[in-house]
Amino acid sequence: MKSSTPPHKSSILPPNKENWITKNPFEEFKTFTASTPGLPMDQIVQSTEAVMDRIRWGYEKLLEEEAKELVWMVQYNTIIKAYEVAEKYVKEINYTAEDIEDFCFALENTQRIPYLIPGPAGIYLSALCNYANEEEMVLKLSELKTEINLVGFRLPKGKRLMIEGDTGDFTGIGLEGGELVIDGNAKNWTGAGMRGGKILIKKNIGLHTGEWMMGGEIYVGGRVRGLGNIVEGKVYEREKLLYPGKVRYPNIYY
Amino acid sequence: MGIYRFISEHLYFNRPDMVIKGERFNSAILLSLLTGLKKGKELIIGEPGLGKTTSAEYVCSLIYQFPLGVIWGSEVSGHPEQTEEKIIGRPDLGKLNRGEEDVVWTNFSQIPVKIVDEINRLPETKQSMILDGVDRGNWEYLNEMIINEEYCLFATANYQDGGTNTIIAPLVDRFDVMVESRHPGANLSFLVGKDKRKDHILRHPKYEKDLYHVLKSKVPYEKKTPKIEEVCNAYGEYLDEAIGVKSFQRQDRDQIRSEMERLELDLDASAFTRMLLAELSFCEWYGQKRIVENCEEGCHYTGYLCRQIKNCASNRLPSSIKQYAQGLAWLLEDSEIDIEHISAVVPYALGHRIQWKDEILSQKERSKRDDPFPIFLAKEAVKAVSQRYREQSEHLKDALAVGSKIFLGGDLEPLEGDHPIYVEVKKDIDARRS
Repeated sequence: MKSSTPPHKSSILPPNKENWITKNPFEEFKTFTASTPGLPMDQIVQSTEAVMDRIRWGYEKLLEEEAKELVWMVQYNTIIKAYEVAEKYVKEINYTAEDIEDFCFALENTQRIPYLIPGPAGIYLSALCNYANEEEMVLKLSELKTEINLVGFRLPKGKRLMIEGDTGDFTGIGLEGGELVIDGNAKNWTGAGMRGGKILIKKNIGLHTGEWMMGGEIYVGGRVRGLGNIVEGKVYEREKLLYPGKVRYPNIYY
Repeated sequence: MGIYRFISEHLYFNRPDMVIKGERFNSAILLSLLTGLKKGKELIIGEPGLGKTTSAEYVCSLIYQFPLGVIWGSEVSGHPEQTEEKIIGRPDLGKLNRGEEDVVWTNFSQIPVKIVDEINRLPETKQSMILDGVDRGNWEYLNEMIINEEYCLFATANYQDGGTNTIIAPLVDRFDVMVESRHPGANLSFLVGKDKRKDHILRHPKYEKDLYHVLKSKVPYEKKTPKIEEVCNAYGEYLDEAIGVKSFQRQDRDQIRSEMERLELDLDASAFTRMLLAELSFCEWYGQKRIVENCEEGCHYTGYLCRQIKNCASNRLPSSIKQYAQGLAWLLEDSEIDIEHISAVVPYALGHRIQWKDEILSQKERSKRDDPFPIFLAKEAVKAVSQRYREQSEHLKDALAVGSKIFLGGDLEPLEGDHPIYVEVKKDIDARRS
């Protein structure tokens, strides 16, 4: 039989609104220690910044310690000494090929790097490339106004470094078996003192090419302005063997 | 694990097809074992003659200590003329002639092991009747009722052919898991054919007769149960002596279940499951997934499962996932349910429940695969969600932790993120605040 008195509202509704939703659906996470809110992209940017700071710091130290001699006296001894300093700082950094590329861009495009000096910048870049984990690297130097010297210094066997743009003097000197590809022009003393490996220059090359080179090959897609005193090795110009060949005297090829 | 090993080495030859924490298992045996232990409901699909029913029979015989003959005698076979009287119970005709009403219960309704062979050959009304009974544990006939305290259901289904009905979606949803009993490969199949007498390992004529005698006796069901257990325990001792397999007595099974119940999801497992459920139920446009509504153009959430499926995940899904993950964690002797347990069971809990959109089906139906299509699609879905979870697990856990703090009265703002789960968290917080 139907009840004549409907149930009171109070017997259906909870006594106070606070108890309406008592179940915390996130209860298990009550004790989870929330880290600083941040999206993964922010973390990536932060870690990249930290690496760049370390790379920049190493470059500044090299400038402090070796710049004077390198700027005024480019002698093989000073280059070796500067490279040893660069090596010391680079070995302590955990970086990738992308970080080297970022550093190249930062050389001219940021106020945080005090000055770009072609010699030390090249030595430092060479050390970074030689100690990178990657075997193959591409550096875009085409957008730099200054041509960097000494790129590819002592590039070891098993490494391949491709440069997009022109390079300055002393490109690929002391090469130690690596492969250096310049998609542009290179200046004087390219491949000087190299012991092995291969240098490919897509365009033209300056004077003293291969001075005192002890081995390896230099391929030039454009024209060779002049050869140095070559001890051993081969130089090709547009697929034609230039040295060893008829050229007997340095710098009088043209 | 002893039972699993015995079945895979002596009774049901098949290749392992799933790897969990470095251990390889055959999904049909493993999930049947978990179904038996967790009082679950399993749908076993496959080609005819590939061991769908026998795998369930072996597992049940060893877990519940019933000789194979009794299990065979209590199975319901699916055919269109099947009646309630053959499935649940019939009037006691002798008493009816004397003007009294009494019910003679079938073995199927009385024993905890319920196996329905070829369920998709039963008309939908009969399918529903069985699933209702198993859902509640109550079997009603005339004005009488018996209550099963312990039960599990195994139903087998052939792929669609001329003689099959469909299992309609609401009924399919009641199954906790779906698994395929697969062809074991030519070499193992050759061995199966050679060894015809392996069933006899689990037969015992004396105990079978004793059990039949108890089951058909006219004493109330509650008084039969201890007697059934007594015979089952004796059979269990025989199994231990004869084949060296330790089967489970009633108190063992209860103990195992209480140990399983104590296992909780760790934070990653919980967050991952929430993420999965969000993708299977979320619709920004219409508030939730509904089978009658289509995704709208211009929706932001196009990269998630909600865009690929038609229906909404039911509340039975998380329950099935948790039950089976608990079972698996217990079996592997882990102290918590972690993301690997969840990822292992989800494809089997999801495969039969998702209705994929036609374009997804046509895109993937010719993909190279080892699994039946629904389980393959579910495994792909789990892979995709796992990838998304890996990318933002910390952020999601942060969002859930912040949610908890807000719920407890903290003055914080919910965390944003590009996934439906963040919207769901926000909705719960808004509901709390309003």
